[in-house]
Amino acid sequence: MNYIVGTPLYIMSAVTLLAILTGAFHLKGAARRLPEWLGIGGIVATLVVATGLWGDSQYGFAGEIHMSRMGILLTWIIMISTLAVIALSWGEPAGAGRRPEYIGLILAAATGMMLTVTAGDLIVLFIGIELLSVSLYILCAIEVVRERSLESGLKYLITGAIGTALLIYGFALLYGMTGTTSLEAIATKLAHAGPLTSQPLLIASMALVAVALGFKASAVPFHMWTPDVYEGAPTPVTAFMSTGTKTAAMGAFLIVFTGAAQGLVSDWRVLIGAIATASMVVGNIGALMQNSVKRMLAWSSVAQAGYLLIGVAVGTEYGARAVAYYLIAYITMTLAAFAIVILREREVENGDQIEAFTGYGRRRPWAGVVMTLAMLSLAGFPPLAGFIGKFMLFQAAIDGDMLWIAIVGALASVVSVVYYLRVSIVMWSPAPAGEFDGGRRLRVPGPVAGVAVIGGVGIVLLAVLAQPVIDLCQGAAQSLIP
Amino acid sequence: MPWMSLLVIVPFVAAIALAFVPRGNRAAGRTIGIVGALLTLLVSIGIVTQFDRGVGTMQMVDHVDWVQSIGLSWDLGVDGISIWLVLMTTVLFSLGMFAAAQRLPQRGNMFLSLLLLSEVGLLGLFTAGDLVLFYVFWEFMLIPFAFLIWTWGGDERRRAGITFVVYTMVGSLIMLVAIISTAMIAQDHIGHLTFLISDLHGVPFSSTASTLLFAGFVLAFAIKLPLWPFHGWLPMAYSQAPIVVTALMAALMSKAGVYGLLRVGVPLFPEGANTLLIPIAILALIGIVYGSLLAWRAPTMRLLVGYSSLAHLGFIVLGIMVFDRMAAQGAVLQMVNHGVVVAAAFTIVMIIGRGGGTEDMDRLGGLAKGAPRLAVAFLIVAMASLALPGANTFVGEFFILGGVFNQYAWMAVIAMFGVIYAAVYMLRMYQSTMNGPVKGVSDEGRSCELRRGDALILVPLILIMFFIALWPKALVGATQASTDRAIAPAQIAADRPAAQIVPSGVTPGSRP
Repeated sequence: MNYIVGTPLYIMSAVTLLAILTGAFHLKGAARRLPEWLGIGGIVATLVVATGLWGDSQYGFAGEIHMSRMGILLTWIIMISTLAVIALSWGEPAGAGRRPEYIGLILAAATGMMLTVTAGDLIVLFIGIELLSVSLYILCAIEVVRERSLESGLKYLITGAIGTALLIYGFALLYGMTGTTSLEAIATKLAHAGPLTSQPLLIASMALVAVALGFKASAVPFHMWTPDVYEGAPTPVTAFMSTGTKTAAMGAFLIVFTGAAQGLVSDWRVLIGAIATASMVVGNIGALMQNSVKRMLAWSSVAQAGYLLIGVAVGTEYGARAVAYYLIAYITMTLAAFAIVILREREVENGDQIEAFTGYGRRRPWAGVVMTLAMLSLAGFPPLAGFIGKFMLFQAAIDGDMLWIAIVGALASVVSVVYYLRVSIVMWSPAPAGEFDGGRRLRVPGPVAGVAVIGGVGIVLLAVLAQPVIDLCQGAAQSLIP
Repeated sequence: MPWMSLLVIVPFVAAIALAFVPRGNRAAGRTIGIVGALLTLLVSIGIVTQFDRGVGTMQMVDHVDWVQSIGLSWDLGVDGISIWLVLMTTVLFSLGMFAAAQRLPQRGNMFLSLLLLSEVGLLGLFTAGDLVLFYVFWEFMLIPFAFLIWTWGGDERRRAGITFVVYTMVGSLIMLVAIISTAMIAQDHIGHLTFLISDLHGVPFSSTASTLLFAGFVLAFAIKLPLWPFHGWLPMAYSQAPIVVTALMAALMSKAGVYGLLRVGVPLFPEGANTLLIPIAILALIGIVYGSLLAWRAPTMRLLVGYSSLAHLGFIVLGIMVFDRMAAQGAVLQMVNHGVVVAAAFTIVMIIGRGGGTEDMDRLGGLAKGAPRLAVAFLIVAMASLALPGANTFVGEFFILGGVFNQYAWMAVIAMFGVIYAAVYMLRMYQSTMNGPVKGVSDEGRSCELRRGDALILVPLILIMFFIALWPKALVGATQASTDRAIAPAQIAADRPAAQIVPSGVTPGSRP
């Protein structure tokens, strides 16, 4: 029994509980930031420990935890986005007065995400997904006085519950067919499962799992909740959903499909490919008509889920490598974009409207540059991180004999250029006279600006120095496929 | 000296420096913009002086591996096809920078910065030796142009910008898929993943693959050119963009498409090019006739020049696609000629538009009375544009038509209409604005007269036209080896008689 492998889990669980516990005390002055600092300390410790565990796959307990390179890489991604979300929440009005719960729930969700991507067993995978979902239901609705926030939480809860039900049903069928909940054992069983056409229950289980994970990843046609929930939730929480949750959901896709169900790849690739295609098309078209940057980013996150699923659908090592790299690029550009939205929202009413950004780049040039870079990178313009990511995804698709999905992805990207470019051009357009005179003179919160600037630099560096990052992703992808 | 990298780094640095100039300081912005463009011009002159005319392959190559595991590299170089395009780009951007600096719009520093960024894109494109890098610069060029149209354009700038971006992106993303597919298929033949054009030369693709890949590339090129019927973005973009931008788009950005055809399309996929020879030639012929007719009826001078450009580019494409040595020579020469002439024509449109307050030909007339020097310059440019014997463009068109006639006489006959129409529409533009009763201006056209700043732009362009007209060999001598090398595989694929096939060319299957 290897208990050391669980260390990241112990650390994160402990700081989650401690952060929530601080709510029992009336903290004054600097100590009011205690939950944040606990969280940051825990995350840094987790990052260090996870780095120490990098190497050949290790199984914890009786195989319930599977610390593979892919698991560790995704843990890094999740931890870094959690760190960024805590920074983005610095002085967040939604968290005012209930900071311990707010930070505690973010940490709980992060723990769930980590558990998801390092799961070695269906039950653990399920617990991870539930932990992250339940925490996020509350986080969405944490601004109880604001109706939109409540609505957002409720919508997420209802659709999320359906997803959960489908997931557990799918897992149950999978267990019924294979007689085990261990992902490793399932992989062995499925490798010799024979043609899927004669096993309707296996088809049903695969489909149910894909649908349920599709809910979490906000892939079409299970995306309907995304725009409303993203718009209503406090913006840092939205940022967390579109980065952390996405990473966890993609991790689950990789573990279950590319990893455990590798033997059936020719059977499920059509299913995932169809979901990917629908997500790219619907997401990009949906984003075209939005006037709120938050809603636009919600639809764009649907489309991005589609791109990511290309890498899952091909089911190869190249595919998994591309997904890993694209996730890194995706969280970098998404967090940078959300940082700028948060900045603007704190300055003016309805700061998430695209009009609110008119001429913003001229007022705060660094923010304009970051937002422009983020938008161009999301659109896949070279030579930015998003381009390298898309390039790798298309390469994986063509390598895996799925040329058609690369073409669909390319055409869908054309549509995306319109709305991404619109935001970046609006940033530099002349502002209507007097626009900025009345707005609150906000002293830029350091952590939020930090996330924006680091994100902006990261977008460029991830592309220019892509080689070492891709090497890491390569190692991770190799650990996934037996 | 890493000359090639300097070529893209110098304007890039100048563009970034411009971003840091305080908003109010327009003088500093102008200085940095012009100095940046002139320094780039110096670098390109340095490259031209060191260019070895006898070599057909890429020279002065700067190569750095970028992302090895996915096959990307930074690889820049020049050969005979690109050398004059590079020089023309730096010359036209220097002149364009002067023009822009004279009448700097609101937020002028950003305007100049974006101009320099588009220069980076074009120069990178013309020198890229790696397909992905080619794509990177292809896209890189789009963003500044889109910003320029969308922010500083006319009343319908937003629609113009969106149309332009969407059209271009459809082509370029399909091209990206084609690029990746090319390397993936070639991987089996070469043994490793590479996007270097020189490595991909001579890879024997199956005829289906060759045709599909060629089609994937050509779509992007056809949209950028534009080739009929992919020109839907042109009227909007050309008429809405600030005129300096329109001039640079017509003179240089359109060459990106032709250049791609000659650098990537025809040499890498000779079989596919041969299969699609007739369809593309027909589109080019339709473009020649249709563009000429549109130019004839165009209401504004700007659209007239824009549509004439559609016709002229049809000629160039035809010259490349018939796989004839002489025609290809003419096409390469004509790329430079057209760039210089169209830039001069748009400069004249700019001067008249500024003085007369409109570019509408029906509302102008008799300007020659008050602006005789403008009239002279205009006449020279008009003569060059309609390829009068003795003009620089005559040499190019003669080469193209001669080569086309050698291979497909009927195509040459149709293309001749373009030459005739060119005389009709160019003279119409000249006559309706310069001759007749004075219209549209209160001072008999004196406000349209050339100023010193205008002469600074027009005189160099006219001198270049004369130079090429008198001594075309100076240009052709350098382009010969590379052009031959580009079309030789296609000639073989087309089963041309051995006498026509260029001896120095590579044969399919052999690595250069």
